[in-house]
Amino acid sequence: MQHIDLKTILQRTVSSRYGDLVTRPTGQAVRGGIEEELEAVTGEQVAVIDFGTVRLLDYSCADEIVGKLLLQHGRAHYFLFQGVTASHCEAIEPVLERHGLAAIARDREGRIRVLGHVPEAVADTLSTITGRTLGTDVLPEATAHELLTLLRDPQMPGHGAASAPGTG
Amino acid sequence: MTRVVDIPSQFDDRTFEQFATACGEFADDRILFDAHATQWASPFGLVGLLVAGQWAAEHGPERPLLTVPSDRDVAHYWGRAGFFQHAQDWFELHGKIPRVAPSHSSDVLLAITPVRGSDDVHGVVESIQDRSAAILAELGLEATAAMGFAMALSEACQNIVEHAGTSGWVAVQAYNWRRRLGRRVVVIGVADAGIGFRRSLAATQSDRFGDRWSDATALEAALFHGASRFRDPGRGQGLGGIARYVNRWSGKLAVRSGAARIAIVPPWDDDEPLTDGLAAFPGSQVLMIVPAQDAT
Repeated sequence: MQHIDLKTILQRTVSSRYGDLVTRPTGQAVRGGIEEELEAVTGEQVAVIDFGTVRLLDYSCADEIVGKLLLQHGRAHYFLFQGVTASHCEAIEPVLERHGLAAIARDREGRIRVLGHVPEAVADTLSTITGRTLGTDVLPEATAHELLTLLRDPQMPGHGAASAPGTG
Repeated sequence: MTRVVDIPSQFDDRTFEQFATACGEFADDRILFDAHATQWASPFGLVGLLVAGQWAAEHGPERPLLTVPSDRDVAHYWGRAGFFQHAQDWFELHGKIPRVAPSHSSDVLLAITPVRGSDDVHGVVESIQDRSAAILAELGLEATAAMGFAMALSEACQNIVEHAGTSGWVAVQAYNWRRRLGRRVVVIGVADAGIGFRRSLAATQSDRFGDRWSDATALEAALFHGASRFRDPGRGQGLGGIARYVNRWSGKLAVRSGAARIAIVPPWDDDEPLTDGLAAFPGSQVLMIVPAQDAT
């Protein structure tokens, strides 16, 4: 895994005075910083984008840091958004839905959740895999069938933990 | 010639139209904005008055005059809200200006703050988060709501930076609305004397509306359809985000631009969702009201 700390990037690319990810110019600068770090990410390494030290994320910044990042790099890299809070999700979810994207996030308590635009079968499958639905070791048959159908769909992307369904 | 524009005694979003109508055409005469009898002004009123002053100074024959409220407490309040500090740039001030510095207090959560660029938005967000404990206490909200409040404020301020073509102001105050609502509220006023929504969105949106293109349709496109002057599909989410926030907390959002005004109206208010044909007023003005979640 390649750990990418957003506050460090924010302070390096914008200003050491800031602790919040707000405004579009800030998002653009931080995305540029992330892209520099992505150059060191190889093969199937997961880029862990860490929101853990960030207080606030607004919609404009989320569009640059999450939306545009996934649109431009979601097919070449695996991403995990780590340390997200409920308020971060409030900014990220509309951005992902607007772009028809999905992403996997881990909150500060270590819980995994899928954000954005994702077919129900995929969400169910991920819930099972990540152990959120305790006591169900296998997928319900209907979900498994739906998942198989989705996986056979040539439009379904096959690469990237965060990806853009329908654009593949 | 000097023309007198009376500032309403209670100057807020509900009396703003009376003020805008009185302003009329700014360019004709020198204007005397008369606030001597004003008893109270909301953040929306104060930032709106600064917009009028800026516009009159830039487009009128001479810098406008402003008589300060004669009531000492009212004038002090305007001083603590930071009004005179910015007003002196645009008005020739008359009357006794209180020697009080803009300050945080239980009612002034954010003194009038200029918004000229991205740095100012960062500053506003920092300030309001420093005051988040006070906001939470005022409104009885959970911590997530205070973050949402800062997000909404950030987006409202960015609207100036990205679309106005000039600078603007933001202010946040808390009140006890005993008669109007029976609860405490936090009120945000954001205003600029810029080009307004119709001009800002014209290049990307006016063809879709044809003859219907107006201040009102521009506001509808921005608030309900996420329209932006940029062709980037990620743009135009800010106002929608603000709308989601105020809806979630039973708040109110109103945006006035040109001769129209659009609002998300909560059950406790009786405003019109869309009003067209108002007196033309420069730029854009945004009002957000977030009420306390429990009656106090």
